[in-house]
Amino acid sequence: MKKLLAVIDLTIRESLAKKTFIAFFGISTMVCLLILFAMNLDIVNGADAYVSLFGQEIDEMVHVEDLIYNIQSVLAAALFTAGLFMALFATSSLVPSFLQKGTIDLMISKPLSRWQILTGRYLGAVTIVAFNIFYLIIFSWLILSLKTGVWNFGYLLSGVMITVTFAIMFSLMTLLSVLIQSGPFALMLTYLIVPISPLLLARDNIYALLSSKFYGYLLDGIYHFLPKLTELGDITRIIVQGGAVNSWFPLVTSLMFGVIMLTASNIVFSRKNF
Amino acid sequence: MNVVETQNLTKHYSRGKVRALEDLTLQVEKGKIFSLLGPNGAGKTTLIKLLLGIVFPTRGTGSLMGKSISDHSSHAKIGYLAENHRFPEFLTANQVLYYYGKMSGVEKSDLNAKIPALLKMVNLEGWGDTKIRKYSKGMMQRMGIAQALTNDPELLFLDEPTDGIDPVGRREIRDLLKALRDQGKTIFLNSHLLSEVERISDEVAILKNGKLLQKGTVEDFISVQQQFQLKVGDGGDKVQVICQEMNIPLTPQNGHFVISVEDDAQLNHLIDKLREGNATIQGIIPRKISLEDFFIDVIEENGEGAK
Repeated sequence: MKKLLAVIDLTIRESLAKKTFIAFFGISTMVCLLILFAMNLDIVNGADAYVSLFGQEIDEMVHVEDLIYNIQSVLAAALFTAGLFMALFATSSLVPSFLQKGTIDLMISKPLSRWQILTGRYLGAVTIVAFNIFYLIIFSWLILSLKTGVWNFGYLLSGVMITVTFAIMFSLMTLLSVLIQSGPFALMLTYLIVPISPLLLARDNIYALLSSKFYGYLLDGIYHFLPKLTELGDITRIIVQGGAVNSWFPLVTSLMFGVIMLTASNIVFSRKNF
Repeated sequence: MNVVETQNLTKHYSRGKVRALEDLTLQVEKGKIFSLLGPNGAGKTTLIKLLLGIVFPTRGTGSLMGKSISDHSSHAKIGYLAENHRFPEFLTANQVLYYYGKMSGVEKSDLNAKIPALLKMVNLEGWGDTKIRKYSKGMMQRMGIAQALTNDPELLFLDEPTDGIDPVGRREIRDLLKALRDQGKTIFLNSHLLSEVERISDEVAILKNGKLLQKGTVEDFISVQQQFQLKVGDGGDKVQVICQEMNIPLTPQNGHFVISVEDDAQLNHLIDKLREGNATIQGIIPRKISLEDFFIDVIEENGEGAK
């Protein structure tokens, strides 16, 4: 276990050495400071408030809870889209870099199984991204809650959803990195999931255009196999807004995809000659 | 006891088009410095990679300290310096040794005590807090050796350990390897520097095109059978006469004679004759060639046969 932790620790350190995570950290800090200092709330009767941003007052009185939920939804959506995009970009070189000749030889010569080496690398990347996500979420949540008295725990849970989504996407990128040993190429292929996901969700509209039922089954199969980013985004939004999630099926099948990708990565990695 | 054993170990690439190693059967005894020699592409690095599980054999088996090469648990007692090794450049020397030591299963408290000693051992004292991206090639090589020693290994694989190191540094590494051997550790060395290998190795194997051509002690390889350097003081002229009488080939060379005898009895008979003739024998030394000469002879002799 200690040896696995050493791999995770080394991966986190390598991630921190990259400027992307420092930028991510800086942006998160700026957002928190903006909420802390630039946004003022003059709460009138406990539920409604006048809002001012950088000293400029917004004319209409707003309902505090709606306002907080909306701000948190915007932050969660930003993390789910731009945050995930940045996180995948920042971690794209983590697997290919350790597969380089001269580095991987030393790692394999240690008393670690190949499974431990790759999983340690994977967990290290997920840990540093989770840290970045929760840094923004926890601090923005605390500031907003302390300023308004609205304690929306759903916003905290959205951090779990965003981290899990990253972990699923990163498992695909890990497999591609092990197979092709190219960070940029693996990243591009992983990003393909982003436009494919809404298309597959709207596959009912595509069926009418198809000449054979076979293509319909194929689309269904691809839909069920691939991670469902659009639905995961919707679940995140619903959680933040305190609504009831109708179906966890997209999350369950996306998690299964992540497990399959990670297992396949380990199988390929454990049979590879370096 | 053999710490390294292979049985018909074979590695082919590209579906048999590239035969990196062919049916290699080898044993390395505990507490020895064993060197693997061979031209580029002979299969030296492939053999180390097979033994360490970095590549998988096409066929054959191997073991390290009694455990199969597929069992990574034996690596806890193994140190490895890879050829062209790379460490994460954002780390300092102290951090490299810490992380690689931890991955070898060494406790943090042990590492804290050991790291300064290791850096001192490889002459990097005072460089512990410097990021390794600032290191020269020689310093990186020393760093690699220190890394290989973090877990106090019983078996050390060193692939070109003196690559990029100046003569003084090479001597220090040689002394270090001898000291490690004297502590009972086994050292498996890949090197192109034959003079280095000759000075420190107990046993040598020569590979070419993935096949084992020769294996033996350095002494066996560099000694020329039944040839001696004979140095005499007074009565040197008598030597030529006596050798002619006994039908012993003799060649004057740099103030001494090189003689070729049939066997030890003939050598002793020659000595008796020389003493009877009042020649002053100053020394009789078995003739040796350099390991480099031997290596080149073996490689050339097997120029076609080994392919």
